[in-house]
Formats: sequence, structure tokens, C-alpha cells
Amino acid sequence: MIRWALLFIVFASALPALAKNSAYEIADIMTADSPTASRSKDWKPGSGIPLEVGGMDWLPDGRLALVIRKGEVWMLEGALADSPSKRVFKQFAAGLHEPLGALWDKDSLLVTQRTEMTRLRDSDGDGIADEYSTAGRGWNVSGAYHGYAYGPKRDGKGQHWVTLNVDMGDHSANEKPWRGWGGIISETGEFVPMVAGMRSPCGLGANLEGDMFCVDQQGTWIPATPIYHMRKGTFFLNPEGIASQNREDSPLKLSAPVPSKVAYPDALRALPEMRPPAVWLPYNKMGRSGTDLAVCNAGGKFGPFDGQLFVAEFTDAKIGRVFLEKVGGEYQGATFPFLSGFASGIVRLLFAQDGSLMVGMTSRGWSSLGTKSYGLQRVRWKGEVPFAIREMRALPDGFELSFTRPVDVASATDLKSYRMTNYTYLYSSAYGSDEIETATNHIIAAVVSEDRLRTRLKVEGLRASYVHELHADGLKSEAGEPLDHSDAYYTLNKIPLK
Amino acid sequence: MNAIRLLLISTALALTAPGAIAEPFVVGFNRFHADAPSAEGGRLLFNELNCVRCHEGSTGLPERKGPQLSGIDKKFHREWVKQFLENPSETRVGTTMPSLIHGVPAADVDAILAYLASLKSPASKTKPPRHINSARGRDLFHSSGCVACHAPDPEFQPPEGIPKAAEFTYASIAFPEIPSKYSIISLVDFLKDPLKHRSDGRMPKFVAEDDDVVDVSGYLMRFEGSNGVAANSIEDWPQDAALAKRGEVLIREARCAACHELPKETAASVVPLSNMQKGCLALKPAIGIPEYNLSDQQRQSLELFLKKRPETPSDALVVSLSLEALNCTACHDRSGSGGPDAARKAYFGGDHNLGDTGRYPPPLTAVGRKLRPEWLEKVLSGDYRVRPYLHTKMPIFGKSTNGLASLLAKTDARAEKPLPGGDDSAGRKLLGTNGGIGCITCHRWGSQPALGIQALDLSNIGNRLTAEWLREYLINPAAYRPGTLMPSFWPNGTASNLQICGGNTDLQIASIYSFAKSANGEPEGFPQKSHGEFDLIPKDRPIVQRTFMEGVGSHAVLVGFPTGIHLAYDGKTGQPALAWEGKFFDAYNTWFSRFTPFEKPSGRVLGRWKLQDSATAPFRFEGYKLDKEGNPVFLLSHGQDKGFDRFEGIPNGFRRTLEWTSSSTTHPAPIHPEGAQVLEESSSQTGSRQFTYLWK
Repeated sequence: MIRWALLFIVFASALPALAKNSAYEIADIMTADSPTASRSKDWKPGSGIPLEVGGMDWLPDGRLALVIRKGEVWMLEGALADSPSKRVFKQFAAGLHEPLGALWDKDSLLVTQRTEMTRLRDSDGDGIADEYSTAGRGWNVSGAYHGYAYGPKRDGKGQHWVTLNVDMGDHSANEKPWRGWGGIISETGEFVPMVAGMRSPCGLGANLEGDMFCVDQQGTWIPATPIYHMRKGTFFLNPEGIASQNREDSPLKLSAPVPSKVAYPDALRALPEMRPPAVWLPYNKMGRSGTDLAVCNAGGKFGPFDGQLFVAEFTDAKIGRVFLEKVGGEYQGATFPFLSGFASGIVRLLFAQDGSLMVGMTSRGWSSLGTKSYGLQRVRWKGEVPFAIREMRALPDGFELSFTRPVDVASATDLKSYRMTNYTYLYSSAYGSDEIETATNHIIAAVVSEDRLRTRLKVEGLRASYVHELHADGLKSEAGEPLDHSDAYYTLNKIPLK
Repeated sequence: MNAIRLLLISTALALTAPGAIAEPFVVGFNRFHADAPSAEGGRLLFNELNCVRCHEGSTGLPERKGPQLSGIDKKFHREWVKQFLENPSETRVGTTMPSLIHGVPAADVDAILAYLASLKSPASKTKPPRHINSARGRDLFHSSGCVACHAPDPEFQPPEGIPKAAEFTYASIAFPEIPSKYSIISLVDFLKDPLKHRSDGRMPKFVAEDDDVVDVSGYLMRFEGSNGVAANSIEDWPQDAALAKRGEVLIREARCAACHELPKETAASVVPLSNMQKGCLALKPAIGIPEYNLSDQQRQSLELFLKKRPETPSDALVVSLSLEALNCTACHDRSGSGGPDAARKAYFGGDHNLGDTGRYPPPLTAVGRKLRPEWLEKVLSGDYRVRPYLHTKMPIFGKSTNGLASLLAKTDARAEKPLPGGDDSAGRKLLGTNGGIGCITCHRWGSQPALGIQALDLSNIGNRLTAEWLREYLINPAAYRPGTLMPSFWPNGTASNLQICGGNTDLQIASIYSFAKSANGEPEGFPQKSHGEFDLIPKDRPIVQRTFMEGVGSHAVLVGFPTGIHLAYDGKTGQPALAWEGKFFDAYNTWFSRFTPFEKPSGRVLGRWKLQDSATAPFRFEGYKLDKEGNPVFLLSHGQDKGFDRFEGIPNGFRRTLEWTSSSTTHPAPIHPEGAQVLEESSSQTGSRQFTYLWK
């Protein structure tokens, strides 16, 4: 008996942990079986859907609209059905130019292609769009390959947000309107610039309060994946498209030159319009290229994380989790690893009515640890509450961790259970940045709440504007399990006064 | 005309002199050994000041040699050489040429020059360049790697801005004297192949186009204008046989032949090291003794070295000092030492899509076990370049790198667990995108471009790399190259692909290596050359596809009609743009290429509409509708008015209906395509006009 058990343990631990969160399961809806991938010589138009997902939204009737990169829109019936035979794909639209976002709006589907936001309407009810009307325009399209446009997403005021990648490569013309900017679409269908300083602002998403956020990607001027809170007149990181500030309708005019090769906190001081990301996703530790945001509003059906944002990541094909709070009137917060082992580079996330999470993927053009070219997967909570750090809040003298399940008091009060460092980045035109000015924080007290669901850590050496990285490797639940992920990364833009 | 530029250039070159450095400037010593005197620094100096040539023994480092003196009268202005001989370190700040004739009368200098002018040399074949572009030369100088060793023009703006002065952490090799020393022709001659003039490789040879050499020379000479025929040449040096005879004696006494190649009559004998205090190391060397103007630091380092001189240096020391002597360290880091500093990094250009690795030359850390010895020789001889995206080009150092490859191999070797034999077909699968880890997503394979970013060609890794180093690298690429975009597909040694080779890391890596070595085919997943798989063929209904198209723009809306003549409509300005017949469109690039090229119609162009630009076009594009038959009705607006521009395919052409809402007050005049027969139909009326366009 014992021998068998041992054997099982050895075998199990030799397997790489694909889904590193056993409370959740990943199921395929459709993934490229590689031989039939879009690059295979066997694949031909019409013999399979190259489901390189660029955008997704639900229709009121329960169909899932899937926008794919080759420029088509497919409607999926029975997306939540367990039986594959109940899932039916029907083509709704075609001929678009690399659309990278979708939003159902009243009676029609808004998609953003490279050149414009387009409203697709099926006016005769035959299930196929016959109107492709221009619903948003006003940005330059040079023909540079990276001149993507993303969105729309709707904020709490009902405004539709769109973000524009900076141009890269041949034909680049970042001096022309609004590359690297984000904005809303006016009632007359014009792009109204709101925020500047983005590079590859691939994913937008509002939180439950209706505030709009955007996840950008590390690269030139951007040391690691940031999540921005988008609001009028702010500048974030990448100045490659800043020339548009000289246009009449710019909501922003930088009052100082863009600093370079300085520590990020110094850059913030030097440039008043520059607002820090609400959260940094430290490079490699939280993946490399963030791609999308989805707020969890599942009423407990996706586990204990309602109200939090889930962030998609491309290179490692994984999903992270973000807790936000307001300190000094602005958002900041922590990010935690959540789930890895997806089939391909994740580009889109969308929660379903039943609390499951749809995951749209494509890794064409960039490398990803996912082994398939593209696809659609679905994450379901299996019903067991994982032992996780649910929230990490800043305090004037440390942090408060709250947990999904009661902690073991002995381990939670043992200071050796925790390690913390803090660091920042070099702000420069280079591609990404190392962590710099790393310092160790001493944790001098750990106090557990009566209900054993919270621990207050008293921490020395907090530094405003620095990322504070926590490892709670020694922490155990009441039942003696370790945390599902023991690392957390808090972006301490401001230290709360009380 | 170019006065401003000229002024900038001259200011810049004046500023590049390393200021207070009056002692001989040895870049490796200045950068790595100037903090405290050391025997290692002394060894480098003993070699680089060419002490070895007068005194016995060898340092183990690449031999230093003085420039070729025969033909000097065709290369340099006599006046400059004269001044230089009289006072080397003031005429060329930082020179390693000692003063040998301090205290000799001026007439003797003339005699030396006469002797040099009497030396025979083949005539230069370089003709005056007809066209010189100094501004381009300035760009080349700053972007091709010259500034790794030489100071940049402080006014030159690299892409990410001018570095701060504090970011220059070591001095550059200055050459303020160039315009007074060379002519354009002689500088071009020199830069084409410096090794012919100075065989010691301290100024290596850059493989460059002749035009590039001419333009860089123009910049360095501060040449204004564009026609090099008008440039100054080297005036003839006076010939005087009697004076030359006297010069020969002086040259023999001054022992010039110890460093320079000269006729054997002037040969210099070895000077044994006896009492060093009285020789070159004396604070004020006696007349007849070379005077180097050594700094205290340099003198002390040499003294420390001389004490240790009988000891055999370790291979590792010889390697690191050799790399410093040749200034390999200007571009390359080795085990955390060397490489460009923050300031110099700003001038390294390349492919930004590849991050740092697309701009900076690779580290030399463990290069002796990374590259196979044959390949390392190839690199040093300049036969092969694997990183075409780097703007900096690896130069050739000539004879001075003889033996370096084997020394590196010896120094970097370590005991390795050999990889098992690989399985070629598994390697092929791993490299590809059909169930593999997709290396070709980012990496080129021979002449096949990668699917995404264009990183290093992998087809030659079997000949280039050692298998064991490949394993070491792949398990943690960032450990070897911090900041690389290359992820690990075997994090901590665990394979992320479990399907191939049973997820065995060593076997997978060995298989990749052996497939590359086999040179037997390419990985799976490269797009097939288009054979029509992605041709859009309108059969029953029109096909609409948006794309970037040449002559139409970034907002092209293509409509393929089953009737055989197709349309491109400009979705930016709301105007028809182009008609063609035959094949409609190959959608492969639009659908599946990351790089979205501007496309051309597949068939034969019949005619174009004269496009008005967006500022003057009368309409605004509002999208399109598809009618029951799938024909497009382009939606337009003009102020408050709405327009509908419908196209329908007919044999040999289109039927076009242009309608305006009944409340419309203006009806912009329609524009018709060039080369078509245009018929207005009888049913046509104000607010709803119908045209037939026919190409016969």
C-alpha cells in the first residue's frame, strides 16, 4: 500500500504542473490541432475556422461572437454546453482587417479593425451581417505592421474606449495622429483622445466601479507590463507617439521634457502629467506580455475572487489576478499568479453568465509557451476554495493580507514565513528594464485577525513608487496546506496616511 | 554652403581629444587597470608600448607593430610628420610612439624625412572620389560601430538622445590630427584596409562598401562639398639623396626598426634589460633613450610587471589581456567585464524588435566552449556573420588574432556531461510549429524568414555551437544574456513540451542540434509558397476584403466580382480607386502574415480613378452595406447629406449607381475611371445617377 502511494507521489511530482491551480480546470472548446493550424499546407479556407481570437462578446441570446484575426466574425451557439456536438459555429461577417476587439451594442456588434471601429448589423435577420458601417475613426493608419487598434470596451458611463498601438517597423509614422493613445468614441463616431503614452495597449477592461483600465506590454520605454487606469489628460510611459499632443484636440500637453535613463520614481517627479500604472506585473514573475483584463462578477461562481481583475498573458500563456484599492484617491494594488497551462498565447478573456471564463488565444507572430497555434478554452471553478492570498492592502506601516480560508496561526505569526523586497525600474527607451534599486524589507510583526482570515504585516522600509514583492512561502492554512501561489507583488504608488 | 556642418564637425573632433591624457593612451589600460598599479596592467603596457620589441621575451599578447613607413610620403603631409617626430605626444595626444629624437637639431629631422621619402613603395591605385557625402559619413561613423572605440561627435543625436557626459566611463581613442595628417585619398586608402598599413590590427579592417569608406573619410576629413576631385592631395616631399643618407644613420641610431618595418641596414639590436631606473622608466630619460611620457600609474605597473616577468602567465590572463589589447571589450562583455558602457550603447543600432540582442554584439562569456573552434576561426577571419541585424559589424584583426581561438577554447573548456545522440525527426518537429515549440516563430532558418521577429538563423547551429553549450544556454537563456527576449522552453531543465522525446530535456536539445547538423530539410510550419490556397475567387457572390494596397492606401476595401473585373475602394476618402481584371486577390498576407505588406492586385490593372486626398475629397466614408446579391453599397456623407455608391459587376465592367438622400442640396460631381468607356444610363436623374463603365 505504502509503496504504491510513494510511487504515485514520485510520478505526480515528475509531471510539470500544467494547471498550477487545482481548484480550476481548463477545458478546450476549440484549439488548433497543429496539423490543421492556419500555417499548415493542409489547411485551406473553408475547411476549418482558424480561431485566432482577437475579440469576444456575448449576445443577449447567449451566442458568443468571436472575432478572429483573419478578419471574420463567427457566432458560437452552445458555447457553454458540455457536449461538443451542441456547439455550432456560424459565420457572421468577413473581410475585416485584423480586428482586435468586439462589443455587442444594443442590436449590433462593434468591432475595431486596424482602420476604424465598425458596426456590424444583421438587418434582415438571416444571421449574417449586411451592414458594415463606420462607427469610429480619426486615427492615422500608416501600414506599419504593429499599428493595431484595440477595443471597444464600455465603461460605467457607457463610453466606448479604444486604444491604439504605436507603429513599429516599416511605414511607421508615430508623429501622425494618436498612435500610442487611448480614447473614447464620440456620438458622431470620432476618436476623442483621452490618454497618451502607451505602447502595445492590447487589453481594456472596466472594474465593477466602471472605471476603465488598460494593460500594456513591456518594450521600449516600458520596463514591465503595466496596468493603467485610463482617465483624461494622463500620460503613462511610452513617448513614441507623444507628438500628437500638439494637435488642437489633445487633452494633454506635457509641461516638462520626457526624462530618460532615470529611476522610475524620479521620472514621475520630473514629469507631472505622468501617472504611474495602478499595478506593475514584474517581468517573468508575472509573465511577459499582458494582453487583456476581465473583471470577475460571477457571484461566487468563479471562486472567492469577485470584484478582482483577471489579466491575460501571452508568452507564458497564463492568467494572473489583480486586486485594486484606492489610496490617496488613486488606484493601486497587488497582482498574484493565478493559472497557467493554456494551449496558446492568451489574447482575450471574457466571463460567461455561468461564472466560467472564456479564454481566446493566438500565438501567431510571437512565441508562447502554449503549444497550439490558436484556440478557445474555458476555465471553470471546480467548487473547492483554493488557499490563496485574496487581497493585499497597503497600510501606513505595512500590508494587510486577507485569505480565502483561515490560516494556521503559528505559521502566520512566524516572521520567517515571509520575505519581502522592493524595487523599481529604469525609465528609458531601452526594451524593458531590470529591476533596480532592490532593497530588502524587514517584516517585524505579523498579527493574525480573530477570524484568522487576515494578517497584518508590519514592514520596515516601505518606499512609495516601488514594487513590493512578497513571498509567504512558510504560510499554511488551518488544514496545513501551503498557499496555491505564495508570491504577491504590490505596486506601492502611495503609502496610505492612515 | 556646408559651413554650419563643417563648424559642428570641427568642434566635435577638437573635443574628442582625451583632454588631460598626455601619457601614451592604451585603451585597455585606461579602462581596466588605471585604478591601481598592477603587474597585469604592466604586462598589457609592456606589450602595447612595444617594449617587447627592444627588450627580449614575449608577453604572450598579440604583437604590436609600428605603421608601415615606406610610402609615408604619399600618405601624410610632411609638415605633420615633421611636427610629430619632434614632439609625438603633443602632436598626437595619447600616441604610443615615444619621443626618440628629443634634443636633435631641426636639420636632422629633415634628414630623417628625406630618408623616409626615399623608401620605395607601390603607388596607390585609389582615385579621387567623385562624390563624397560627409553627412552620410557622419551617420555611418556613429551607427556602424566606430564610436565603440572612437569618440562620438557630442552634437550627434543617436536615436534615443545624446548620452550624458557622466555615462562615458572611459576615454575614447582620439584622432584630432586626421585632417592635418591625411588627404582624402590617403585616408580612403587606409580605411579600405588598415591592416595593409598597420598589420597589428589595433585598427582593424571593416568590411565596408567603397562608398561608405569614402563618405566616412569625408566626414573625418571635415570635407565640405561633394566632389572629391577638388580635395587637397599630399604635396610631394622633397627628395635629397645626400640628406637621406644622413637620415639613415639617424634612424639606425634611434632604433626605429625595432617597431617599424624598415630596410635591414637600419636593423635594431636587442637591448637587454639591466637597470630599469636608467632606461625608459626614468622620470626624465636621457638623450637617446625613448621618452614615453609615462604616468606614475603606468610606470609603477611596468615596474610590477618587470618583477614578475619571468613567470609564465596563465592562459586566462593572456586571453583577457589580449581582448583588452585589441579592444574587443569595446563591444563585447566577457563574464561581466567589458562591453559598451551606457553612453556607447546609445550608438549601437539594430533591430529593435529583438530587444537588446538585436543591437549589441554578443557576449564573449564562455565563447571558447560556446562556438566550435572551426567556427570561431571563421568569425575571427570575418568569413561569416550570423547577426545581419546588428548595425555594428565585426571587423577583422588580421594576424593579431592568430591562436586566439584555440586559446579561448582551452581557457573556457570544462568537463561536460555529453548530450545523448539526437533524433533528427524529433528535432525537426521541435523546431517547427506543428506540435513543436516553434523556434521558427522567431528564428530564421537559412534563407527562410522567421514567422515573426527575425532572430538569429538556427540552420547553422550544428556547425556553429557545441551541443553542451546549447543545452546550458537553452535551459536558462537569460543567465547567459540578461534581457534577452528568448524564453526558456526548458525552465529549470524541465521540458515544456511533453509530447516529443517523452519530454526528456537532453534528448530534445540533442535532437534539435542533430537536425540542424544534418542539414536535411527545414522545420515544419513555414508558410507554403502561395500556390493559390489563399486566392479569393468570387464565384456566386462578390467577396469583400479590406487590406493595405499600393496605390489605394491603408484603408483599401477590395471587392471581387464573379463577372471578372474587380474594384478597390478607398475607405478613407470614400472614392473608388482601382479596377483590375483576372485573378482577384491572394489573401495570404492579409490574413496570416504578421508584417502586413502593401498588396498588389493579383490580376491586370485596367484603370484608376484620380483620387482626391482626404482634405479635398468631397465625401466622407461611412462604411458599406451588402445587398441581397452581395453587391456593395458604399455609404458616404457630405455634411448632413447621405450618399450611396453602389457597384455591381457586369461583363467587362461595372454598373455604378450614385444616389443622394432626397433632402440633399448638393450632389458632388462623380469622378470616372481612366481608360473606361463611360455611359450614363437613360434612367439617370438628379440625385440618382447610373453609369456603366466598360473596358473592352
